[in-house]
Amino acid sequence: MPREIITLQVGQCGNQIGMEFWKQLCLEHGISKDGILEDFATQGGDRKDVFFYQADDQHYIPRALLIDLEPRVINGIQNSDYRNLYNHENIFVSDHGGGAGNNWASGYDQGQHVEEEIMDMIDREADGSDSLEGFVLCHSIAGGTGSGMGSYLLETLNDRYSKKLVQTYSVFPNQMETSDVVVQPYNSLLTLKRLTLNADCVVVLDNTALNRIAVERLHLSNPTFAQTNSLVSTVMSASTTTLRYPGYMNNDLVGLLASLIPTPRCHFLMTGYTPLTVERQANVIRKTTVLDVMRRLLQAKNIMVSSYARTKEASQAKYISILNIIQGEVDPTQVHESLQRIRERKLVNFIEWGPASIQVALSRKSPYVQTAHRVSGLMLASHTSIRHLFSKTLSQYEKLRKKQAFIDAYRKFPMFADNDLSEFDESRDIIESLVDEYKACESPDYIKWGMKDPNNMTTGESSATGSLDPNQ
Amino acid sequence: MEEEEDQQKLPDLVKELVHRLLSQNLPSNSPPLNPNSPEFRNSLRYALRILSSRLTPSVAPDAAAIADSIKRHLATNARSADALSFADLFSKFASKAQSVNNKWAVIYLLKIISEDRNKTAAVATTTPLLPNLAFSEPASNKGWSNGVLLVSKDPENRRDVAFREFVDLVKEENEVSEEVIVTDVLYACQGVDGRFVKFESESNRYVIPDSVRVPRATRSMVHNLCELGVLFRKVSGYISQSMDRFPNEDVGTVGQAFCSALQDELSEYYKLLAVLEAQASNPIPLVSESASSENYLSLRRLAVWLAEPMVKMRLMADLVEKCRVLRGGAMAGAIHLHAQHGDPLVHEFMRRLLQRVCSSLFEMVRRWVLEGELEDIFAEFFIVGQPVKAESLWREGYSLHHAMLPLFIPPSLAQRILRTGKSINFLRVCCEDRGWADAATEVITDNEVTARRGGFGYGETDTLEFLVDKAAKRIDKHLLDVIFTRYKFKEHCLAIKQYLLLGQGDFVQYLMDIVGPELSEPANTISSFKLSGLLETAIRASNAQYDDPDILDRLRVKMMPHESGDRGWDVFSLEYDARVPLDTVFTESVMARYLRIFNFLWKLRRVEHALTGAWKTMKPNCITSNSFTRLEHAVKMQLVSTLRRCQVLWVEINHFISNLQYYIMFEVLEISWSNFLAEMEVAKDLDDLLAAHEKYLHSIVEKSLLGDLSQSLYKSLLVIFDLILRFRSRADRLYEGIHELQARMTESSLSSRDQKKTRSRKQLNDKTAEQGSWIVDGRKALTQRAGEFLRNMGQDLGAIAKEYSSLQEDFISQLPVQQHVDLKFLFFRLDFNEFYRRLCPSM
Repeated sequence: MPREIITLQVGQCGNQIGMEFWKQLCLEHGISKDGILEDFATQGGDRKDVFFYQADDQHYIPRALLIDLEPRVINGIQNSDYRNLYNHENIFVSDHGGGAGNNWASGYDQGQHVEEEIMDMIDREADGSDSLEGFVLCHSIAGGTGSGMGSYLLETLNDRYSKKLVQTYSVFPNQMETSDVVVQPYNSLLTLKRLTLNADCVVVLDNTALNRIAVERLHLSNPTFAQTNSLVSTVMSASTTTLRYPGYMNNDLVGLLASLIPTPRCHFLMTGYTPLTVERQANVIRKTTVLDVMRRLLQAKNIMVSSYARTKEASQAKYISILNIIQGEVDPTQVHESLQRIRERKLVNFIEWGPASIQVALSRKSPYVQTAHRVSGLMLASHTSIRHLFSKTLSQYEKLRKKQAFIDAYRKFPMFADNDLSEFDESRDIIESLVDEYKACESPDYIKWGMKDPNNMTTGESSATGSLDPNQ
Repeated sequence: MEEEEDQQKLPDLVKELVHRLLSQNLPSNSPPLNPNSPEFRNSLRYALRILSSRLTPSVAPDAAAIADSIKRHLATNARSADALSFADLFSKFASKAQSVNNKWAVIYLLKIISEDRNKTAAVATTTPLLPNLAFSEPASNKGWSNGVLLVSKDPENRRDVAFREFVDLVKEENEVSEEVIVTDVLYACQGVDGRFVKFESESNRYVIPDSVRVPRATRSMVHNLCELGVLFRKVSGYISQSMDRFPNEDVGTVGQAFCSALQDELSEYYKLLAVLEAQASNPIPLVSESASSENYLSLRRLAVWLAEPMVKMRLMADLVEKCRVLRGGAMAGAIHLHAQHGDPLVHEFMRRLLQRVCSSLFEMVRRWVLEGELEDIFAEFFIVGQPVKAESLWREGYSLHHAMLPLFIPPSLAQRILRTGKSINFLRVCCEDRGWADAATEVITDNEVTARRGGFGYGETDTLEFLVDKAAKRIDKHLLDVIFTRYKFKEHCLAIKQYLLLGQGDFVQYLMDIVGPELSEPANTISSFKLSGLLETAIRASNAQYDDPDILDRLRVKMMPHESGDRGWDVFSLEYDARVPLDTVFTESVMARYLRIFNFLWKLRRVEHALTGAWKTMKPNCITSNSFTRLEHAVKMQLVSTLRRCQVLWVEINHFISNLQYYIMFEVLEISWSNFLAEMEVAKDLDDLLAAHEKYLHSIVEKSLLGDLSQSLYKSLLVIFDLILRFRSRADRLYEGIHELQARMTESSLSSRDQKKTRSRKQLNDKTAEQGSWIVDGRKALTQRAGEFLRNMGQDLGAIAKEYSSLQEDFISQLPVQQHVDLKFLFFRLDFNEFYRRLCPSM
């Protein structure tokens, strides 16, 4: 009875990164494109049943739901080599196939209409697992389906499976280039509210940073979606290694996340990975000792979230928690030395209001995937500088909102009917208070934060006032 | 015939010489010498008497000494040149004149002559030689002072007369003749009483009774010679005693060998005595009589004859004395002690003896080392076996019997011998292995061993070592092969690490999940049968299912003895049935230590489990502050503060527990394990392996604070664990209360709002129906109750937080004081961001 995890991939982006993720898992577990265990995959020691289950004919089938409002990406999957991997009953494509038109409200509304059908699928998967641990949602926050419908699903899951964990891999839009989705800030803001309130853990995948990494670190002049997605799938599969290769600690999602998220609201995680490679790229082989890996993981250039902080703010930013998952042949004695070195060099700036340390999980590496490097590492960290990402979203939202631009598209849907834009305001308030809390975490007085300052209280109250019922 | 001729010739020769001497000294005017003149005859008789004289000069028969004195004489008379030339001449004479036997006599003669000449010079006489032969001056008048010549002066041959008188005297004084005594002594030497020489048991010696008149000298000589008899009695007494006792076990094969070796020596001795006895029948000639036979035996001659047997006999008697109470190896060792002797005679003798004595011992070693047979009916071997259960065969089945370990086998070699045979027996008994025989055969057929086999015995320690080495290497290798391949030692160690030391995380977690509720019950109500079922389920559900069924089969639930009031948590543990032969490594005491480690780790896991459980109730999406908007500001403040306090406390506790776990994992388990693996690789025999495992286990116990020295630390840790469990239940209460509050708030707002349409309307409706009374209470009462509840919870949490921080501070402050184990890492991890240092700068 494993701690099963059901993956929901919603929208175009969600399905793309989801597909990459399953490709990677299949490779690592020695499962063929048709879901059949390869002959060489007999070494065992891995736990496949967290993410897969076996059909009657011993096929391994991902515990995954493929959901989209337009057929393009899912059709692509269904015509790919992996078409036989997925359970076809778990694929949901909207009947009309028109998508959500990059409109959060449309996605949310359509989600509401197909709730029953999707929840049936989810319930079926949940019933098929012995001890469901939780859900993983893959989506982007900028588009229509992933953000809108994803938001709706988050709320529903929170309602129906309140005891289960909900983790999301959320792709944040590239804010460096002008997007074809002009309403991105609206969509992002509205989704962020759900991520704050209805998810237990959000792994932030910042397209801006992914692109930067692809350009700077991998020397790709024009990184394609496939290339950045392979970065994402690397991170996703690496962050689940301790679940798939059981060791002494961190064998379940809750164990993994509990230490990472000491303050429930600050549950947005950044990731870092080293050494970075993409497929077919001639890689420079580097020395990979535990110390090298851990040191590189702390370097901003390897972190997959852009920091919009100014220098002064950046110097005040602090780590709330760090978990390094190190894969490969590692001598456990090196961990201690590396930690000592990191502390001596003062490479990490931790919060001051409580004890904290770098946690290290050693994990096995798949014997079926050959890599040039001996050791690789993934960092999952909660860092206060992520607030600048939210601030940036907020400021972009304010700009649009001031102009009342593109609001009409949202008014068409019940949530915003009758010119009721309180949902926007409420979302803004919640994100603002989230930013405040992250900021408070940078100070040693976090424990008293929100209790003495009357201004904070009023904001809290005002935000709360509107939040009870959106229809008010 | 020749002798007669010689005797004929001799007088003629003497006559001739005298003639020459006299005619040389003749005055020039005298008539030629008449050989028949009375003077001549007188001189001749004198010369003969001198020649036949038996008197010896009073100087030592040493040519060099005489030469030296001459040199000194010359030197003191200021004739150093002459002295030098004399030294030169002497050395030539000494080295070249091989045919001259009595060099010293020649030199002495020359010296006397030279001195004579000097003395006579004063009397102005020119006769250099035999002055008393000169006719002119009778020797008696000249007052010779040389004793040699004085005696021979006696013209009546008084010597013979004196001797005759002496013999008469002796005969008068002694009742018994020397021949009789000699015979008696010979008897005595065989342990038999003679006619006069009798054994006197009080003084334990042979004596001639006082009643028998013999000279004191003879008496003491007899006494000395008869010591041999006393010794002989001792030796032969021992032999016959031992032979009689055989096959009584306190003689043993070594004793037998010793006896037979002694017997052989004695028969040599008998042979000698037989010869001597034959000689004893020859009469002892008087000094004056010319010996009728050379082969007579006087007491003095006997003393010479018996000198060597005496040495041997003394040795044997000594050995017999020393070995009387000893047996087996101890005996060999005692004899060996005597063999360390500088005298080659003794040394050789002892060697011979020891080779005989030790042969059985060496045969035992050979059989033990090659076949593992302990063929030692008389308990003589330095290895003793005792019947034990298979599991303790290795540790207790065989041991070195130090008293029986002869000194010539060094202790390290003895250990190796012990281990080799033990390995064979271990293989045979515990591993039911036949392969060892092949290994042993290989050793036997090994060319080198065969080549050196001839010298296998006492004194060939090298060969012994070589053989043992060869055999040990093969057997040890074979044994390790069997342990590692057939009995999968490494796999079992790993299994113990995975299951008893909780390395298999998914299994442990699942076990915790399903066994947890059961273990909260009182210990006496828990059925271990049910727990076994749950264990089985946990195995099936985790990756453990892919493990070797043999390994899984050995994993059991063990309920420790419980007292009243114990919960299941206190008594539950896992055990691993190592089975023969691995129970040699995993003995009961070893398993008991594993059990202690398991209990500690299990407790730690339980606390961790509780903490993640608490996190799940506090988890991010559970409490949404928007439900509490309607609370009064003060109550809301209380809520926020209580929640935060709970969270911060959780952070601190979780930090402590997870870092403790990291410490246990990295610093304790993994490092000890990798050291263990490395030592396993280089282990040459089972003892090495046992030592490596012992080290592994010891390091885990010590570093996990389970050692005796860290008891106080461990105790404070357990107190902290208890507190954390209390915290968990408090936190659960808090969140339960908050959820309830949340629900009621929603209801109240809903009911007051005429039940607007919401997503969860249906569910809420149900609840509303149930808890209608709450709503009636109204908002105010609700707020009041909430405030009260939160205040209480806040106080509780505050108390727990206070207690926790003092406990933790206490724990941390103890860490640097622990000398015996390196806890720096734990301290370092716990205070990684220097939070505690800031809090308490003294740390």
